[in-house]
Amino acid sequence: MITANNIQVEGRTLFNRVDWNFAFVIFALNVIGLINLYSATHGVHSSGNSNLFWMQIIWLSVGWAVYFVVTLIDYKFFIRFAYLFYALNLAALAAVMLFGKSFYGAQRWLDLGVFRYQPSETMKFVMIMILAKILAKKKITDGLSFKDLALPGVLTLIPFILTVKQPDLGTAILIAAISASLVFFVRVKKSILIIGLLIGVITAPLVWNFGLKSYQKNRILTFVSPGRDPRGTGYNSIQSKIAVGSGKVWGKGFRKGTQSQLEFLPERHTDFIFSVLSEEHGFIGSIFTVSLFIVLYLMGIRIATQARDKFGSLIVIGVLSYLFWHMFVNMSMVIGMMPIVGVPLPLLSYGGSSLVATMAGLGLVSSVAYRKYLF
Amino acid sequence: MSHSNSFLTSTEEEAKEYQDRYKILYLVVGVATLLIVGRLWFLQIIQGQELREYSERNRVKEVKRPAPRGLILDREGRVLVDNLPGFEATISPQYATQLEKTAEAVSEVLDVSAKEIIAEVKTSRRRNGPFRDVRIKDNLTLEEVYRLKMLRWDHPGLKVNEVIVRHYPLKENGAQLFGYVSEISRQQIEKYNKQYQGKFIFEQGDIIGKQGLEEEWETLVRGTDGMYFVEVDARGREAVQENSQFLGLEPSPEVPGNNLILTIDKDIQQAAYQAMQRDDKIGPRIGGLVAILPNGEILAWVNTPSYDPNEFSTGISSKLWSRLINDPFKPLRNKIIQDHYPPGSIFKPIVALAALEEKVITANTKIFSPSQFKFGRRVYHNHSRTNYGEIPVTKALELSSNVFFYKMGISLGINKIAKYASALGIGHKTHIRLNNEVSGLIPTEEWKKEALGEEWQPGENLSNAIGQGFVLTTPLQMALAYSAIGTEGKLYKPMLVKKVISNQNTIVKTFESELVRDLSQPQEEGGTPLISVHSFKVVKKGLELVANGARGTARWWKIPGVKMAGKTGTVQVRSFSADQIYDKCLERPIHQRHHGWFVGYAPAENPLITVAVLAERSCAGSSGGAPVVRDVIQAFLKKYHPEKIIAPQPKPEIKSDPDNTENPESAENNDHSE
Repeated sequence: MITANNIQVEGRTLFNRVDWNFAFVIFALNVIGLINLYSATHGVHSSGNSNLFWMQIIWLSVGWAVYFVVTLIDYKFFIRFAYLFYALNLAALAAVMLFGKSFYGAQRWLDLGVFRYQPSETMKFVMIMILAKILAKKKITDGLSFKDLALPGVLTLIPFILTVKQPDLGTAILIAAISASLVFFVRVKKSILIIGLLIGVITAPLVWNFGLKSYQKNRILTFVSPGRDPRGTGYNSIQSKIAVGSGKVWGKGFRKGTQSQLEFLPERHTDFIFSVLSEEHGFIGSIFTVSLFIVLYLMGIRIATQARDKFGSLIVIGVLSYLFWHMFVNMSMVIGMMPIVGVPLPLLSYGGSSLVATMAGLGLVSSVAYRKYLF
Repeated sequence: MSHSNSFLTSTEEEAKEYQDRYKILYLVVGVATLLIVGRLWFLQIIQGQELREYSERNRVKEVKRPAPRGLILDREGRVLVDNLPGFEATISPQYATQLEKTAEAVSEVLDVSAKEIIAEVKTSRRRNGPFRDVRIKDNLTLEEVYRLKMLRWDHPGLKVNEVIVRHYPLKENGAQLFGYVSEISRQQIEKYNKQYQGKFIFEQGDIIGKQGLEEEWETLVRGTDGMYFVEVDARGREAVQENSQFLGLEPSPEVPGNNLILTIDKDIQQAAYQAMQRDDKIGPRIGGLVAILPNGEILAWVNTPSYDPNEFSTGISSKLWSRLINDPFKPLRNKIIQDHYPPGSIFKPIVALAALEEKVITANTKIFSPSQFKFGRRVYHNHSRTNYGEIPVTKALELSSNVFFYKMGISLGINKIAKYASALGIGHKTHIRLNNEVSGLIPTEEWKKEALGEEWQPGENLSNAIGQGFVLTTPLQMALAYSAIGTEGKLYKPMLVKKVISNQNTIVKTFESELVRDLSQPQEEGGTPLISVHSFKVVKKGLELVANGARGTARWWKIPGVKMAGKTGTVQVRSFSADQIYDKCLERPIHQRHHGWFVGYAPAENPLITVAVLAERSCAGSSGGAPVVRDVIQAFLKKYHPEKIIAPQPKPEIKSDPDNTENPESAENNDHSE
């Protein structure tokens, strides 16, 4: 079996070892994203926004460059420096607290002159690397014990708290979700699972009363009953649902979505990009886009199963959970299944940090695929 | 490839450690996909149509474009009321982000203070919300329009709108008849919507007719407002987008209102207004004038003093409004129907008809009419304190003898007088289609008992017989009654609107003159008429003498070639002490002066026109009312029957001008002093 593999490998060129099908699905999502972004930024009154489209193309080019560079570099290289990355990223998060740029009442960005850097965004990938590094070393028989979870738990908690303080609850929850996904994927002892569940149930009311800011509580209340304040907090949720629903089966057509073109939709080129798509391309367009994401996951899971080591598998699962949770939270909020939290839709939302980070993450997956036959 | 990293000990077998974990991933992805697809299905397929409609309503704003009101034309189709295009400056509070600066800039162009503008915008925003535009100024000049349009770019929210302005070319003339237009009040919205039960929908901001024909014919004149749809964005800004489809919402263009063709003759109306402005010793008259054709069609309708309804079209200032409502001479009132007055001596012909019909007298019965007459414990006088001796009824009318009619009053009693007065329409609404008509009053013995709880006093027969006491009437009632006398019995319903025609020039409605009753015809089959032609002829002779007899009370006012008939009346509105009685009326303070009446028709035998004039505070009917009536009749005859008039000699009236020779004022001065 090993011989057979070796013969196969010799026949492959550098070019052929890249998983082009995986790259193609990503590219397809990029194209959908661009078409959609064009519509979202070329509304009746949004002439000032139209350069965002070209900016996104530039970011996309950067993203693809990063993708291929990361593909060609052995992912173990990054793992080696995982703790260094972690320390640097924590420093950056702390710097945000001190000198960060403030937008919409939250400090999330560091101004690096050429562009604004959002450390919480890269933190997600650093968490994937550091947890993959820790968890891959564990020999699992009946699941992770409490002792095994102590370090991953602490490492997650520090950036989580820093991000909550910005305040950016959405990103914080996603960091936690990615960590949890990896841990659960590796398997956790049943007793710990049950204890964790109990702690969650007990602390939830405490978090509600003392942990959440009033606007965060408002969002959750509004989610439960959007009619509570249709012109205020519930407005975004209602307008987004109208946009999605009014697309019906086939949609209103490219650049004909009245909800987005006439600016009833808020944040339509970032967090609410999927409602633009659903409005203009209907159920068919939405399902097609969701399907592409699913195909991407299935291909990713396949790459994970074929990874040459546990470490590679965990990296892939981490990146996939990143993609999955972003997509699921974003779409759920857009279609009114979840409260409004500021989470972008990977590959479709406008935003340089998110796009380049996503492409880098997918590059890691690609890197694992690239090396699946190498020993 | 070697793997020398010490921490990497994983092998292929170790990677297989996770093999059984992947199914959890498929499960999670599967469940998430089901949730999302299920929710999309619910929103886009199940709720799709509903949410599509919702999104359409979201972006579509109804814009109302008011229909131009119909024109009001005279009997020959000449414009009395029309519409002019105008410009107004408005500020939308929702977009006025720099209100102070905008107000400052606008105040430089328009003559409005910046403070006032800011206050007005803020008040409106508080009261009507930010979406309603606030009008800063109407009636902009072209230069103002041009300068404001330049400002628009730097001042969001500032707008210059083209509007339709109701225009009254006759200005003050006929204002109370035509009425005016202004914005509907909150109470009126409620009242009108109740009244029209959805046939017409009135909303805040609508312009409606107030007073006069504009109010009375509102529903026919207002037209149907157009409804347009514009696409707006989330901030209410209008979006310019072609091929907008709005879920089958069809715009409806505005339909202009119907035009009214009146019985009014613009020439006569103008002549009448001129006549009321007479520049003589009394000066411009305060009161009302109505001129009618024998069939009840109204030719002229003038109230003075008046106001300019154009001021209302462009939003009247509160200063002018308070001046109008505080003016003691009530320029807003339609005195011809809205106020009632004692008729005074113009009531005498009606009493004469009653006396003739009730056989109290015949045409030739001579009644002793001394200068004074004692009845009960009081002494009653002839107005001029002259002993007229034995005179027949025609002479009594010519001289306007009070004593003669006191005696008639005693003989007839109030109920018999009331019977004839009522038959001639006095004390009853004419049901002309104008608002706020009062009925006037003809007293009877029963009426007094019921209304005042007192017995009728015999002395009251005297005062009421000369049109004082309880008798109240309006200029319109008197014009119609005199027209009935002139035409020997034909009492018509007054008529103002001849035709209503649509903006497509099709006839919507036509009106015919309506005979209320012919008094010279038998009341029932085979019966006798209430008033015989003979009695009419006798009274008409008397009225002819008033203007033409040697001692007639209006003998100074003649029309060459045509005999005018009529009757003067002077109404004392205040009791005077003995020493005041002989003061010259015109030298008294204005509120102590008498009202003057004159109702006349011409030609005397077969009248073509009847004119009634009430001239408040003019001291006497002969000098206050008669010349005005004469002027109007002369203008009418000149236009419609020039053959009847002898070419006017060079200023014949100078010689007979009362100011030069005999003063009609003194002739009738203390008409009704007791």
